[in-house]
Amino acid sequence: MQKDELHTIKFAGIVCLVCSLSLAGVRQTLRPIQLENERMDKQVNVLKALFPDFDPDGNELSEADQIRLFTEGRILRSNRDWIQRYFEEFITEETVELPRGREGTLYRLSRDGETVSFAFPAEGKGLWSTVHSYVGLQPDLATIRGVTFFDHGETPGLGGEASKPWFQKNFKGKKLWADGEPVTLVVAKGSAPDDGSNQVDGMSGATITGNGIQRFVNTTFRQYNETVFSAMRDGETEIEGDS
Amino acid sequence: MDKKTKAIVFDPLSDNNPITVQMLGICSALAVTAQLNTAFIMSIAVIVVLCASNTIISLMRHHIPPKIRMIVEMVVIASLVITVDQVLKAYAFEASKQLSVFVGLIITNCIVMGRAEAFAMQNPPRQAFMDGLGNGLGYSAILIIVGTFRELIGAGTLFGARVLPESYDGNGLMVIAPGAFIIIGLIIWLQRTITGKYEEA
Repeated sequence: MQKDELHTIKFAGIVCLVCSLSLAGVRQTLRPIQLENERMDKQVNVLKALFPDFDPDGNELSEADQIRLFTEGRILRSNRDWIQRYFEEFITEETVELPRGREGTLYRLSRDGETVSFAFPAEGKGLWSTVHSYVGLQPDLATIRGVTFFDHGETPGLGGEASKPWFQKNFKGKKLWADGEPVTLVVAKGSAPDDGSNQVDGMSGATITGNGIQRFVNTTFRQYNETVFSAMRDGETEIEGDS
Repeated sequence: MDKKTKAIVFDPLSDNNPITVQMLGICSALAVTAQLNTAFIMSIAVIVVLCASNTIISLMRHHIPPKIRMIVEMVVIASLVITVDQVLKAYAFEASKQLSVFVGLIITNCIVMGRAEAFAMQNPPRQAFMDGLGNGLGYSAILIIVGTFRELIGAGTLFGARVLPESYDGNGLMVIAPGAFIIIGLIIWLQRTITGKYEEA
């Protein structure tokens, strides 16, 4: 009996040791690749929000090229160098102050000293999970240039459609700011009416995800607006006045 | 391949299918089959885990103390699943994001534990490996069939590529879990009609 128990304990000990050591080994070996993937994923999404209209060599992209780039997901892992160069040469990342002492990040895509677009991160609750996103704005700080939703646990095929190009490209050209005040962007139930109102097509069967997205995109914009964007608007008028 | 090995590999594909006959692993079959892509990656992950866990447990079968038998099986399976999850995160990042928690949940997939208990504990490694392969393939077959129907009817695409015309709106029921239930039910019905095998009530 005694011998049996000793064997049991020894066996359990060996199994645990072997398993934990091999897991630690696996994790240690793969960690650098995983980190690289995560960084890449973030950069791809920032780039999608900034929605560049020129390639890394400085050639203009037509509207059609841009849409294709966006919808076919050509900004992808296969284009590591592409993305890398964009981030090194054209994109700056600054930490900015948000209301109530919080910190935010503002990405700026510029070319020949002129800002092409801004992007800020936004996140909030969908139905099951936190949905992460970047919202890209035109230099007017009012019009959406590109938007991306990623890293979420919404139902594939329903709320999960938020990460699909068809949903995201609807945001392009919509307003978050008009006539000197924030305007609410609405995620419609079903198709958005074609009357020029500030709505994007919703995802069928995913009302709560849509509502969540509507809420956090608008509130995050307002937070950035309160401190960062309003200051930038004031600043830019001054610069224009000087010249 | 001798006759017995053949039976070990091919029985689980239909006559003894883990999902439609043994009724194991249904939960994950509902969760990951909304799109073929995820169903496919999940299939590969389960095959790998099943083969490896069956082989390892079979190798240890004479040494595992009966009292802690199931815990040891669990530790082996969990380690393998975490390894697979880590590898996916490194080399199939997009897919691993889509599968999210479901790869981790292979640990609780009754097929893996079930095969370890029912087969690997009594049989030599080579056969245990074959049994894992067979059951993994049987599981995969159902996943792929269900995934094909769900993605085609639910979204009009296959592996993300559009198959049905753009005007096809997609059927929301197929995208959510009840759609998978209905399809699995239909497969079971069809299979039992063809094979003529019924379980005693």
